[in-house]
Amino acid sequence: MYKLELDKLIQTIKQQKAKQVLIQLPDGMKHKADQVADAIEEETSAKSFIWLGSCYGACDLPLGMDILNIDLVIQWGHNKFNKESW
Amino acid sequence: MPRLLLIDAKWEGEVKLTDKLKQHLKKTKPKSIDLFASVQFSDITNFLEELKKLGIKVNITKAKRTNKPLQILGCDCYPDSFKDKLESDMILYLGDGMFHPRALILAVDKPITIFDPISDHIKIVDRKDMEKELQRAKRNLKLFLNAERIGILVTIKPGQQYFLAAKKLKQDLESKGKKAYIFIDDTLDPSHYENYPFIEAWVNTACPRIGTDDITNFPQAMINLRDALDPIKALENLE
Repeated sequence: MYKLELDKLIQTIKQQKAKQVLIQLPDGMKHKADQVADAIEEETSAKSFIWLGSCYGACDLPLGMDILNIDLVIQWGHNKFNKESW
Repeated sequence: MPRLLLIDAKWEGEVKLTDKLKQHLKKTKPKSIDLFASVQFSDITNFLEELKKLGIKVNITKAKRTNKPLQILGCDCYPDSFKDKLESDMILYLGDGMFHPRALILAVDKPITIFDPISDHIKIVDRKDMEKELQRAKRNLKLFLNAERIGILVTIKPGQQYFLAAKKLKQDLESKGKKAYIFIDDTLDPSHYENYPFIEAWVNTACPRIGTDDITNFPQAMINLRDALDPIKALENLE
């Protein structure tokens, strides 16, 4: 129903030479996490990991991923977010 | 990372050997006690003196994950969680609530006497009080053994984060022909598990109580990391 754009994903991982990639999917796409994770590990040398929880928008990014040496976080379903300033 | 201050928040009252507890000890006649307490009730100098007057030998051991002897944490829930074996006539826990006594129930297959210094209430619990969870644990282990696609849960909470162990487990499972996926989050909320229907069994690498106390709250099979490393032994321990 929604495009995963796996070709773009694989190309980006290779270009950025990412070694550890975190996949973050919105609820309606989470059931495809295995497809994405498998594609990463089959077509690149990167290891893939899946964010278990929420993906409410580009405002909702997993924090602390540098502790786990995650190189690249890929989030589906949202585009760039401009945070409001107060 | 910011600096950290930890505060015990000890109970304002005094932990006393009340008449009720004295009567219970006279009735049950333990010659020795393995004593534990949550940090809130760990000022027990007078309490220990009173027990000594009754002629009871008090053994205080140190749990692996605690800073000091006497104290117990919820994750000290394995037979090898303590420096010394718990072989006294009675295991006595000072505190309120069931969270820490349940750790003792999981660690040793013996009755645990709970004394709540606030309410002056005594309760005895044992594995029958966790019968549902233990039966579910057996079922979960069997499902894990048969599962082809396994989800490994990792938290980023610093004291519970076992990312390297998760990666090693994934490698180990995949060398046995299974497929394993590592899932990361801060709080491991069970309501998220159903979003990944391709996972047949979950392995929790965070707080071990997630893989014991919580497992009857959701239908998916979940076991702890320690059991995933030797599931046959884990099943034998439960049978």
